[in-house]
Amino acid sequence: MTVPISYFLVLAAVLFCIGLYGVLTRRHLVIVLASIELMLNSVNINLVAFSAIGPYADITGQVFSLFVITVAAAEAAVGLAILIALYRNRDSIDVIKHDLLGTDKEKSVSTLQ
Amino acid sequence: MLAFEATWSLMTPEIVLGALAMLVFTIDFMTGIHEKKPFIGRLSIFSLLVTAVLVLVMNPQGGQIGDTFLVDPFAMVFKLIILVGVALVIMMSMNYLDRNEDIYQGEYYSILLFTALGAMIMVSSADLITLFIGLEIVSISSYALAGFKKHNIDSTEASIKYIVLGGTASAFILFGMSYLYGLTGTTSLYEIGAAMPELFADYTVMIMISLLFMLGGFGFKVSMVPFHMWAPDVYYGAPTPVTAFLATVSKLAAFGIIIRVFTLGFESIYAEWAFIVATIAAITMIVGNFIALTQQDVKRLMAYSGIAQAGYILVPIATVLNNFSITVIIFYSVAYIMMTLGAFSIITLVSEQSGRKTGMDTFAGLYQRSPYMAVAMAIFLLSLAGLPFTAGFIGKANIFLLAINGNMLWLAIIMIVTSIISFYYYFGVIKQMFMAEPKPNAEEIKVPGGIQAVVTVTLAGTVLLGILPNLLLDLFTGFNWMI
Repeated sequence: MTVPISYFLVLAAVLFCIGLYGVLTRRHLVIVLASIELMLNSVNINLVAFSAIGPYADITGQVFSLFVITVAAAEAAVGLAILIALYRNRDSIDVIKHDLLGTDKEKSVSTLQ
Repeated sequence: MLAFEATWSLMTPEIVLGALAMLVFTIDFMTGIHEKKPFIGRLSIFSLLVTAVLVLVMNPQGGQIGDTFLVDPFAMVFKLIILVGVALVIMMSMNYLDRNEDIYQGEYYSILLFTALGAMIMVSSADLITLFIGLEIVSISSYALAGFKKHNIDSTEASIKYIVLGGTASAFILFGMSYLYGLTGTTSLYEIGAAMPELFADYTVMIMISLLFMLGGFGFKVSMVPFHMWAPDVYYGAPTPVTAFLATVSKLAAFGIIIRVFTLGFESIYAEWAFIVATIAAITMIVGNFIALTQQDVKRLMAYSGIAQAGYILVPIATVLNNFSITVIIFYSVAYIMMTLGAFSIITLVSEQSGRKTGMDTFAGLYQRSPYMAVAMAIFLLSLAGLPFTAGFIGKANIFLLAINGNMLWLAIIMIVTSIISFYYYFGVIKQMFMAEPKPNAEEIKVPGGIQAVVTVTLAGTVLLGILPNLLLDLFTGFNWMI
């Protein structure tokens, strides 16, 4: 008995939403980057599910997901490198404290410190 | 689809540029970390020009590599725009890099070359995977470029904002692409386009989700309005030449793939998404121009102005998708890259002369300090606003006429009204340059050669295309853009 593809699609959609929620609400930048990885990996679930039991199952989806994994790794590497640069400048990786560029610059700094 | 019969020679410009970028990278780490390396800058400009010549020589006959890599007039012209744009960005960077000790020169140039490579792959791709790889080469390099002043808080912060939001946008694009792949079993835009009418009838909701997700993700890259929040912050924090790069090359390459995907993949359901794009274009023009009114910082002002310009370029896409509307878009892209790069090179110059500040008041009395730069800046800004006898005016007039002929009167009216509003904030800068007195300690500006060259080239382009637009329009009208 095979599992219907809709289960996989729902799982991927749920993971995507969790990732998006994490990006939007989390304050810790490492978790924000991890949430982006979660979103990219939900795409991989979609691709692999379509590739295995989709209406037009073929190998392309698996190739695509390999590309996605590679790019996600590159993005994570650059992201963490920037994170370290930021940490050296600010001694903190809290998102809300990093709002020097925002228009309400004074307000956010004064309420947090 | 037989990859073995592919004519790989079509990829010569990309391969040569990739090899030269590697060469620049290698020469860089063989010559130490902290040196000043103007010769690497010159070598990079040389590589871009070699590639541009190769594009001109190799590409006109057209062709494709196994449905994934297309060479047609559309790709060729966009590649030339990208290569010239990146070469001008490098020219304006050379002096900037010499003055900023905290930038590693060689890596800067090679990363810019790689972004040019990625953008070229983007505009040539007819396959979701190729397109995604090109897009990510550009994006990841841009994240690194935005944070290039790594001891500067603003720059690293701009970079982290860009990577978090850009990564999310990539995830959206991929999610949309995964549905398209799943429903068609192929990643080729041609085959997706062929299957689209039937597919849309069977799976309306999933196709719409996929379309909207991809539109949102691409819209992030071109900074159209619901997805524009990153632009002012990143433009403000990034080093100024990088801001110029993000505002021009990166944005236009993203427009290239929007046009490509929506023409090849979604053309048959045009009626379903044209109104969505029209609404987004209208909101983008309104929000971009109105928020720009309140800006006191030139880089932020240019960011909002760039958002508004993205709205103008969306108007032809929303009106009709045919050969002529692509002509109009590409003409406006040429005009846009000229005037924006010119304006940014002067902003780079002025902000470097006034202690790396970019407030509006740094432009005070520029006319007394450097008359040529002040007049050139005034022409660039007026062209962005759309005053007659400039390239910007001709581009906007074409878009306006296209919108009226395509029964999009309301969009045309929004475009005209917001353009008139835009004169107000551009005149704010012009007023500072000509009417305000220079600050007491401001001295005469010495214009470095690179910036002088960029300003002269872009000024000549802006004025020439404003007076004799037919030079390009006639040439473009003869092209059959998409094969």
